Amino acid sequence: MKTDFYFVGLGGQGIIKLSEIIAHYGMEIGEKVKFYKEVGLAQRGGSAHGEVRIGDVFGSRIPPFSADVMIGMEFSETLKAIEFLKPGGVVILNDHKIYPIDMMSETEKYPKDEDIINLLNRQKVKLIQIKAAEIAEEIKFPKAENIILLGVLAEIISLDKVVLIKVLKQHVPGRFIEQNLIAFDKGVDIAKNSVVK
Amino acid sequence: MKKLMTGNEAIAEGIIESGAEVVSGYPGTPSTEVIINLLPKAKDLKIRVDWDINEKVALEIAAGAAWAGKKAIVTMKMSGVNVAADSLCSIACSGFTGSMVVYVADDPGTAAGMTEQDSRYYAKLMIMPMLDASNQQEALDFTKNAFNISKKIGGPVFLRLTSEVAHAASDVQFEENISKDKDNPFFKRDVAKYSKAKASFCMNQHQEALNRLEKARNTVDSELKIDKVHYGEKSGVIVSGSPWMNLQEAISEYNLDISWLKLGMIYPFSQDKIKSFLDKIDKVLIIEELDPFIEEEIIKIIGQYGKKIKVMGKLDHTLPKVGNYSFDMIKKALEAFLEKKLGSKISHEIVEEAKNLEVSRPSSFCTGCPHRGTYYALNQAIKQLKYKKEDIIVSGDIGCNFLGANPPFNSCWSEVAMGASIGMAQGLKLAGIEKPIVATLGDGTFFHSGIAPLINAVYHNIPLTIIILDNGWTAQTGFEDNPGTIDLKKDERSKKVELMDIIKACGVKNIFLTDPYQYKDTLEVLIEALKYNGVSVVIARRECSLQANKRKVSLPKYTVNIKKCIGCRKCIKELACPAMSFSFSKENKKGVMQITSACFGCGLCKNICPTGAIEVIADED
Repeated sequence: MKTDFYFVGLGGQGIIKLSEIIAHYGMEIGEKVKFYKEVGLAQRGGSAHGEVRIGDVFGSRIPPFSADVMIGMEFSETLKAIEFLKPGGVVILNDHKIYPIDMMSETEKYPKDEDIINLLNRQKVKLIQIKAAEIAEEIKFPKAENIILLGVLAEIISLDKVVLIKVLKQHVPGRFIEQNLIAFDKGVDIAKNSVVK
Repeated sequence: MKKLMTGNEAIAEGIIESGAEVVSGYPGTPSTEVIINLLPKAKDLKIRVDWDINEKVALEIAAGAAWAGKKAIVTMKMSGVNVAADSLCSIACSGFTGSMVVYVADDPGTAAGMTEQDSRYYAKLMIMPMLDASNQQEALDFTKNAFNISKKIGGPVFLRLTSEVAHAASDVQFEENISKDKDNPFFKRDVAKYSKAKASFCMNQHQEALNRLEKARNTVDSELKIDKVHYGEKSGVIVSGSPWMNLQEAISEYNLDISWLKLGMIYPFSQDKIKSFLDKIDKVLIIEELDPFIEEEIIKIIGQYGKKIKVMGKLDHTLPKVGNYSFDMIKKALEAFLEKKLGSKISHEIVEEAKNLEVSRPSSFCTGCPHRGTYYALNQAIKQLKYKKEDIIVSGDIGCNFLGANPPFNSCWSEVAMGASIGMAQGLKLAGIEKPIVATLGDGTFFHSGIAPLINAVYHNIPLTIIILDNGWTAQTGFEDNPGTIDLKKDERSKKVELMDIIKACGVKNIFLTDPYQYKDTLEVLIEALKYNGVSVVIARRECSLQANKRKVSLPKYTVNIKKCIGCRKCIKELACPAMSFSFSKENKKGVMQITSACFGCGLCKNICPTGAIEVIADED
């Protein structure tokens, strides 16, 4: 048995932290784990991605069309993960658009929502769309988009929440634990009330 | 005990478990994290861990410790071996009484930029054994093995990882509660071993080095399980490094029972092991990233013992010499080798469509990066001196400074090797280019390899404008300290060396110091420097904003006065600051500029706004 997770987004969104938590969750439940993170110029606003493989696998990179779950933190960055996504897999898509600097004055060049959704639908994925940035504003913790998505993920694919919360606490600074737990619960609630298409 | 570790973390753990006492190195992706992981533990472990000025000096430190009987390791990226090579060649012939491991990380697929250099050839050149780890567990185990082999043979051993093994993590078994007895340092005077003063010394040392190689091979074959072998069908694969993991994945995914030989020690080769493997198969595929290092050796062995066997690999173009090997590439190579399709065919049409829609994200300087101010002022200085941008060659260097090659600055023309910006600029000048030539490099790079070429420029009086973008850190590799780094006094392990003193001592007469956050001053200084017919050095000094931010340096932030903003977007187009955003709204058809909370407060944008719409936020306190 194996589960492959593909996380994609932009530097500064907390995507690597999110993948790291899932990797440590895998360790905590006693499985074999592979964890790859893209370390490029992400700090300078570039693309960032993480791959976590839990179970019986060898390579640290997810082969094409094999990821069971994909979490996209930035709308168009999701496109970069499509070649790794298993047809019929689960996609958690954060409805957050960040324009690159050279596109800021020409936002119409940014890919259209329906084009991206259409590609995902053709892969027959189970798609859940979340506006994590809005929820993060609501709970007055704008940096928590990633942890809200973690809550959504935990609910959608039934991760062991007790173990996951234990790992979460180990991976966020002490003074932010309470706020992160609120964000996590918020994610779980949203997933419970969401429609998976 | 098991822990999630990257390859570099695993090496750090292997160093601790081996009881090494001296760790030296120079930062370079993908090797940097070994020392980063050890630094906070150094005090408790009572070991020497630090960044040194360049790879050559770092190597000499480790080798000196090994001469005194200690266990030492030096870490570097592949380009670093080129820098250290001169000393390494000599040390590998001398050998020592202690042990020394040279950790080199190669980067197929260039995760970090630079040449796709295959450092395995250095093993041959230096007459040194080399271990090549395929995964994180091996990274830890091979570190310990490398120390053992080194001690046993009395000479240095290479440990090699590639970026995928170095940066990826997996569950790794490690030992806890290691305590090792430390030996007293002792160096026995022996000029026949430790100098090259006579031809007989040199030739004897050469022979000794060759003997050590043989001893290393015997040690691995008889005592250490470093190579692995499996016998199945008569189709056999010889593999090393990270592709072994994807090969195993393919074997498991497609239920294959091929034979395979996985080489952990990739130099010297075990003729016997390879021959007995080849005896049991009737065709062979060699899987190794970068050059056909193993493949050529296999063909040589086949030639020597005259077996007729089909060899596939790079030389017949089954696999490429460029890039790292994905699962898909290995799958395709296996399909060609086994002459059958593996798995069902998947349509890649959807991938093409996704690629066409992708948004490209050009990388620029970070928010508040001082280099933005320097390159902006440089471009303006060139303009004010009535030169065309395409007239002024800017010879760039390794590190963050080279982001100045990207839009909107488009400043740097070339990037060669550490410190090479200054040397290359001299060649261009001597070729007869009359217009001013600029060399730009960071402070870390200047300390590493910029001093000798600067002296050469002064010595031969070659007119150049050298800009040292002094942000106080070796920033691009992950913020390591260097001799010029600001205020490390907290741990008392280092003393700051003043850049200005060095430049003066190199004989430079025309030296300027400027703060790139002060746009007008910087512009003036650069105009002065470009006009000067001789060697001029501009130190553009301001701490890396990410580091300053970590140290809680706080500057007044800026905002856009919407009443004054005419929506021309000059600021965003010319500065590409990640803290800026622009959007159209119903109320404001011309669009609205915004400066987000990411603003660090460099204030550069304020200088270029044509309507003075960018204003400092009044202090709320």
